[in-house]
Amino acid sequence: MRYETIPTTCSYCGCGCEVLLQVLDGELIGVLPSKASPINEGSLCIKGWNLHEFVVSERRLRKPMLRKGGSLVETSWEEALDEVAGRLAKIKSESGPDSIAALSSAKCTNEENYLMQRFVRAAIGTNNVDHCARL
Amino acid sequence: MSAEETARFEPRIVAFCCNWCSYAGADLAGGMRLKYRPNLVPIRVMCSARVAPQFIIRAFQEGADGVLVAGCHIGDCHYVKGNFITAKRVAILRRLIEFMGIPRERLRLEWIAASEGDKYARVADAFTEEIRALGPSPIKDIRFGERSRSCASC
Amino acid sequence: MRELLKTRVAEMLREGRVDGVVGLIESHGEPLPYLFTADDTAALERISTGELQGRLAELIPGVVRYPLGKILTAVARKHPDKRFGVMCRACDERVVFGLFQNLQLDPDKVEILGLPCKEELARACSCPAPAPRSAIVDQPSREAWDRADLERIDAMALDERFAFWVEELGRCIKCYGCRNACPVCFCDVCTLQDDGLVKKGEIPAELPAFQLTRAWHMVGRCVDCGLCQEACPMDIPIRTIYRKVRSIVGELFDYFPGERDGGKSPLEQLGDGSFPIQ
Repeated sequence: MRYETIPTTCSYCGCGCEVLLQVLDGELIGVLPSKASPINEGSLCIKGWNLHEFVVSERRLRKPMLRKGGSLVETSWEEALDEVAGRLAKIKSESGPDSIAALSSAKCTNEENYLMQRFVRAAIGTNNVDHCARL
Repeated sequence: MSAEETARFEPRIVAFCCNWCSYAGADLAGGMRLKYRPNLVPIRVMCSARVAPQFIIRAFQEGADGVLVAGCHIGDCHYVKGNFITAKRVAILRRLIEFMGIPRERLRLEWIAASEGDKYARVADAFTEEIRALGPSPIKDIRFGERSRSCASC
Repeated sequence: MRELLKTRVAEMLREGRVDGVVGLIESHGEPLPYLFTADDTAALERISTGELQGRLAELIPGVVRYPLGKILTAVARKHPDKRFGVMCRACDERVVFGLFQNLQLDPDKVEILGLPCKEELARACSCPAPAPRSAIVDQPSREAWDRADLERIDAMALDERFAFWVEELGRCIKCYGCRNACPVCFCDVCTLQDDGLVKKGEIPAELPAFQLTRAWHMVGRCVDCGLCQEACPMDIPIRTIYRKVRSIVGELFDYFPGERDGGKSPLEQLGDGSFPIQ
C-alpha cells in the first residue's frame, strides 16, 4: 500500500504549471495542481486536470504504424523509418525543402524537441517548424 | 419594460405535472371546457419527485420564463411520499436561483389533485400573469462584458 | 505542532492502530500529499503541517492545503480492509465527517489527527469553525461565520445580482477544477458531464446552468472548506455560491454538513411531510 504525489511540469502548453501526479500502488490515478507553485497558484485548466489520461490511454501508439492500402498496420521501425526518410527525400528533391513543415509535441522532452527543430533546419533545410505548446 | 411591452409579452412556462394528480387535473380542466391562458407547456412525469432540479435548471437555461412543478397533495402521493422530497427541493432551489438574480417567483410549486381542474386553470392564469409582470427571463438575454472576454493570461 | 504530529503518527503506526496515515510530506521543497506507513519510518522525519519554507513562504500566504479527505477516499476504496489515520485541519475534519455521513468512509476505520488553525489563518480562509474536534493540541478559537460575502450579494437588487453573476461566471473556462478539487464530490458519474443537462464544447460554461447544477449538488454536502475557490483559475467567487447553499440548508433544515456526527442530509430522507412549502 503506497500513495505518493510526484511534482512535475504540465506538458500541455508553455505556461509551465506545476502539477502533482498522484500515484497509488504504482498506478497513476490523477492530477492535483501544486499549491506551492507561484505560477499556477493551485489551479489548472481542463487539460492540466486530465494530464494523467494519455499516459495510460489505450489509444496511445506503442508501435510504428504505416498506412497500407488505406488502413494502418503495425510495422517495424526499420520499415517505418525507411519509408519516412525516402518520402521526405523525394518531396525535398521534387518540390524543395520549404514544401516540408514539422510539428512537434509538448509530450516529448525538451531535448527531443530540440532535436526535432535541429533535424528540420539542418537535415531538411527549412524553418517551417512549430510546436503545439507555443501558446 | 413599458406597459405596452408587458401586455405584448407572452411568457413561456414549463409545467411539470405528475401523472396521477396534476396531469389528470389538467385533463379535467380541458374536459370541463375551462378557459385558461395557453402559456403553460405541460410535461407529464410519473411523480413530482421525478422532476430532478437539473430539469428545472435546464428549462430555465433553454429560455423558460417560468417553471411550474405540480404534484399530488401531501398525503395523496401515488408513491406515498414522493412529493415530500419535491417540497424540499423546490424550497431550496427557489432560494438558490434568487441568489443568482432570478426572482424566486419564477419557480412555483402547486399541489393539484385529479379532481381540481378548476385549480389547474386558476394556477395557469395566475402564474402566467405573475410571470408576465416579471418580464422575460434574464437568461435569454445574456451579454458578456469586456472583462469576461479577456483571457487571464494574455 | 509538527513535532507533536510526528510523535502521534509514529505512535499510531508503531502500535498498529492504523495501517497508513494520509498527510503531507516535505519533499522537492514543498509539502506534498503522502501516505505514511509503518515500514517507511524515514519519511516521518519529513512530515509537514503544510507550512511553506524559505522564499515560497514569502510568495504564497497561509498554509498549503490539499484535499486529503478525497485522497483518503481513493486509498480506502482500493484497500477497504485497512485502517487509516488522516491529518486534518478543521476544514478537512468536516470533509471526513461529511464523507462518513455520505457513506464514503467507514468511521470505524478512520482516526483523525486534528490541527487547529491560528486565528489569522482562520480569518484569511473565512473559516466558519477553525478548531477541529479531534485536535491533537488544545487551542481556544473563536467560532464565527463571516457572512460578509453573502450579505453583500443579498443586499443587491435582483437584476444587479444577475449582472454580477454574468460578469463573474462569464469568465469560467470550464476547467472543472471546482468539482475536481471538491473533497465531497465523490460520484463516479457526474451530472456536469451529462450532455443532455449541461451542454459541452462551449466556453463560458452554460450560465447559470453549470454553476446552478453544481451548487445543487452541494446541498447537504458542502462543508465550506474553500478548496474550490483556491482551485479556480479565473478567481470566480464560487465559494460564495456554495456558502449560500450551506446557509439555505442550515436555515431551512438546521443541517450543517460535516459539523455534527451522523444524521442524513435533508434530501436523503423523506421526513414526515410537515415541511413548509413556499
